[in-house]
Amino acid sequence: MTWNFDILPDFVFNGLSLGAIYGTVALSLVLIFKATTLINFATGELAMIGAFMVYVLHMEQGLWLWLSILIAMIISAGLGALIERTLTRPFDPADHLPVVLITLGLFLIFNALAGDIWNYQVRILSNPFGKFPSWVPGLGGDRFVMVLGSRLKYQSIGIWVTLALALFLLGLILNRTKMGLAFRAVSSNVESARLVGVHTGRTLGFGWALASAFGTLGAVLVAPQLGGVNPNMMATILIYALAGAALGGLDSMGGAVMGGVLIGLIQAVLVMWLGVVVMGQAYMSILQLAAAFVLILIVLLFRPSGLFGSRRVERV
Amino acid sequence: MALLEVSDISVQFGGIRALDDLSFTLEEGQILGLIGPNGAGKTTLFNVVSRIYDPTAGSVTFDGKDLLAMSAHQISRVGVYRTFQNLALWPGMTVIENVMVGDHTNTKSNVISAALRLPSMRSEEKDLRNRAWAALEEIGLEEVAFHPAAGLPFGTLKRIELARALIANPRLIMLDEPASGLTHAEVDSLAQDIKGLRDRHNLTVLLVEHHMKMVLGISEKLVVLNFGRKIADGDPDVVRNDPEVIEAYLGSS
Amino acid sequence: MSSPLVVVAKGGAEHKRWQYVQYLYLASFVLLVPVVLQPFEIGKMNRALVLSVAILAVNLVVGFNGMLALGHSAFMGVGAFVTASLVQDENWDFWMALPVVVMVGFVLGILVGLPALRVKGLYLALITIAQATVFPTLVNIDELGIAKRTGGPNGKGVSEEVIAPSYFEWLPGVDGARGGSAYRYWCIILILGITLLLVTNYIRSRPGRAVLAIRDNEAGAAVYGVNLPVVKTVNFAISAGLGSLAGLMWCLDKGFVAGQDFTFLLAVDLIIGLVIGGVGTLQGSLLGGLFVVWVNDLTKRITIPLGLYTLNGDGPLAKAIFGLILILFTFFAPGGIVSLAKSVQNKLIKVVPIRPDGTPAEDVDSFDPGMESDRAQSAMKLAILGPVLLTIGWLLMNVNNLIVGCVAFGLRFSILVTAPVAMLVGSNELKALLAGRRPESIKAQASMARLLGGLGFLFVLLYGLWLFKTQYSSR
Repeated sequence: MTWNFDILPDFVFNGLSLGAIYGTVALSLVLIFKATTLINFATGELAMIGAFMVYVLHMEQGLWLWLSILIAMIISAGLGALIERTLTRPFDPADHLPVVLITLGLFLIFNALAGDIWNYQVRILSNPFGKFPSWVPGLGGDRFVMVLGSRLKYQSIGIWVTLALALFLLGLILNRTKMGLAFRAVSSNVESARLVGVHTGRTLGFGWALASAFGTLGAVLVAPQLGGVNPNMMATILIYALAGAALGGLDSMGGAVMGGVLIGLIQAVLVMWLGVVVMGQAYMSILQLAAAFVLILIVLLFRPSGLFGSRRVERV
Repeated sequence: MALLEVSDISVQFGGIRALDDLSFTLEEGQILGLIGPNGAGKTTLFNVVSRIYDPTAGSVTFDGKDLLAMSAHQISRVGVYRTFQNLALWPGMTVIENVMVGDHTNTKSNVISAALRLPSMRSEEKDLRNRAWAALEEIGLEEVAFHPAAGLPFGTLKRIELARALIANPRLIMLDEPASGLTHAEVDSLAQDIKGLRDRHNLTVLLVEHHMKMVLGISEKLVVLNFGRKIADGDPDVVRNDPEVIEAYLGSS
Repeated sequence: MSSPLVVVAKGGAEHKRWQYVQYLYLASFVLLVPVVLQPFEIGKMNRALVLSVAILAVNLVVGFNGMLALGHSAFMGVGAFVTASLVQDENWDFWMALPVVVMVGFVLGILVGLPALRVKGLYLALITIAQATVFPTLVNIDELGIAKRTGGPNGKGVSEEVIAPSYFEWLPGVDGARGGSAYRYWCIILILGITLLLVTNYIRSRPGRAVLAIRDNEAGAAVYGVNLPVVKTVNFAISAGLGSLAGLMWCLDKGFVAGQDFTFLLAVDLIIGLVIGGVGTLQGSLLGGLFVVWVNDLTKRITIPLGLYTLNGDGPLAKAIFGLILILFTFFAPGGIVSLAKSVQNKLIKVVPIRPDGTPAEDVDSFDPGMESDRAQSAMKLAILGPVLLTIGWLLMNVNNLIVGCVAFGLRFSILVTAPVAMLVGSNELKALLAGRRPESIKAQASMARLLGGLGFLFVLLYGLWLFKTQYSSR
């Protein structure tokens, strides 16, 4: 067994950028969970549709990439709010089954529609963070910068900055706007929020809208790592995001991001590094696959409400 | 020795003390009325004894056994049963099936004997059904026995809960507001029923009830709670004249 | 008709007669399949019945225990691969493999269920979805000899000789060929029948009631002595064992297993079947399997041109149609087909339970020949309606339209509800006629029609038997 630490930073960087994406999608899950105490199993497919919108706007219509992303996020937000209003609101959120069925139905519909319109081939989507822009001194045009003897990709930096900005924006929205405040009130106690005059329905729709926009952002960021967009692109991402959300606690936004990042780190560092370098190539794939699954099981065994989630006292 | 001994029980939810150093004893065969204004911690105590909540401190013993060392499903083994303020019936089953589950603890048939319908399981099932019927008859519920539990009136559901607790031959039965949703006439007959049941089945009863006339009518001992603390304890006639109790109920003047 | 046409006592002579007619219809259905249908169609029926067992497994957890388990495709996959490996590589007898496969599923169920069921709510859904997603890739792993066992991405074939034991050759429809689809049909029916019987017994007994109690109110169940984690986990493990059994049947049916057959989409198919059949009902599991296969088949034949865009059912859109059906059922028929059928049946017949002292809990009101004439009229209408609905159902089956097709499906199955009651009416009338005590109070025309209605159903039955006889004797 050799303990080769030289290439560890490579895996750390990689894990952090993967984790950031998982965190984004996990955040999307948690936003909906906080608003309506349900898991939207169509989160991944909604995000995928968003990524395809970017594909159409940018690659086919030639719009500026960031403008396309913004438009796609806004449209996804509208779509999310629409779904909440028409499909999930009629049901009692305490009864999980109907809403799970609805989101499963949506999962099928979105996946199939995308498959029908765009086939199941991978379509290349420009990488928003392919090469350092020319204004960065000494690095313009490079794909990476050497840090600690390892390659730190511009893509990773871009993902971190974008996520940090998005989180900052989310914080502003939730803390500084009336709608955000209402959302926080509703997510901590629907009944009291309604009593003090918060329009709960509109607020729940707002939660879905935010969540869908975040999902789309996650999908766009992950696309370059998958070689492009395709209707099944979010399947495994969603699993890791679910693992991240469970790890962090389904009702904690910070926990979701941290959980996602942790999952990414574990996947990259523990699994790849341990698997490739220490134990040898042979066990890598099995470790990587099982990691998320086993991790959820372990978390549930020892800390049922996640690392950052809150325990709720139940009234009888 | 007292049958139920609650000593120094405290329950804390976040910053709120739902119960504060509560102690009292309940003798075998006694009917104890636990009263107090809304939010005094009566149901919390029930939830502690039936192991749904964990107290932050204190102990509960029943017939010398430490209840806090057991988990919720083991409490019924020593003969402690309860009803619920807001009902905890199983609406997807019929009334008689609800009552049959009431004796889950003392019945034995398992997955294998059930799937194969072994003779032991069939005779137990028949016996259980007969006893459930008898319990329903005793409470006067034969008419609705085969109805689904969903959709029956609140007062009927309350009585179904009573029948469900009765089938298991309980030693201690904790009744959480059994009179809520009943008319005045029904309350009077319920009070008689509870006394009759206690005598016929050798029950010990812990009763939470807002209906003062009924509590004072049948209780042999009263414990009064206010804001999680015990403010009085003892003979009903003495307790009802206690100035602190009067103040808790009427407010300081 | 507000009050039911007929009220009979449970276990009484008339109730039994009604049940016998139901069994007769069911038996004729079961018998006719391998005889009347083409081998290709029998294959589809086999697939439906395999799915039914899997849906039953899901139902145990989701429908009866109220826990969201969404990943039974993985248990099916495990069962299928273990079967293939034992039978093909280790030369086990097929029936010997069965208990082992169920046990493997059971143990896996405990491993997954123990942590997941400790917490309430959606965590089980989360874990089981992860399990379903991970499984298809897990079988392709080269390490630990997994891919060698499972055939990796190429899948694993099982030769007909080893999968099919030889002692069923005498059964109707089986023309001697081991492993033919009729042959497999009988194996599947046998396993399905026994499974259904055992599960029904389980659910309608002390352990089954504890499972239901947990679904309806956990706190209440715990206070009354139900050990929540143990009951939940055992129930989940039984369900996983059944899922694994469905995998064994899948292997028997297809003779080929591959990781990509057991994706999350299969798990979703099971959920759809469950919802459409009826969550928390035993009959619903059976109907759900049929519906899933049949709708899949129907959508493939549908093309709807919409100007520039053509809606083509033979492609990815089949899944979208399933999604749409799932949402529509959740909104408009949350009880599934079974609750629709039950609401019809409740208008026709009511079965009154018996008190311990042996008397019926309510007044029994059977259709003695003395029944008043307006109810006789209703019985008549019913008796005529049944065969008419059936015929319309058969005719509509050939129309390539999803909605018409769904209606046709319903009409064809409506006979299972209406026929036994009408037969009961008809037979009572016949008895009275023979005994010469047909009262004057019934209009002659009404009783005539009831007789005709009864005869109509007999005709359907005899026609089937005739088909059966000619096909069987020609071999």
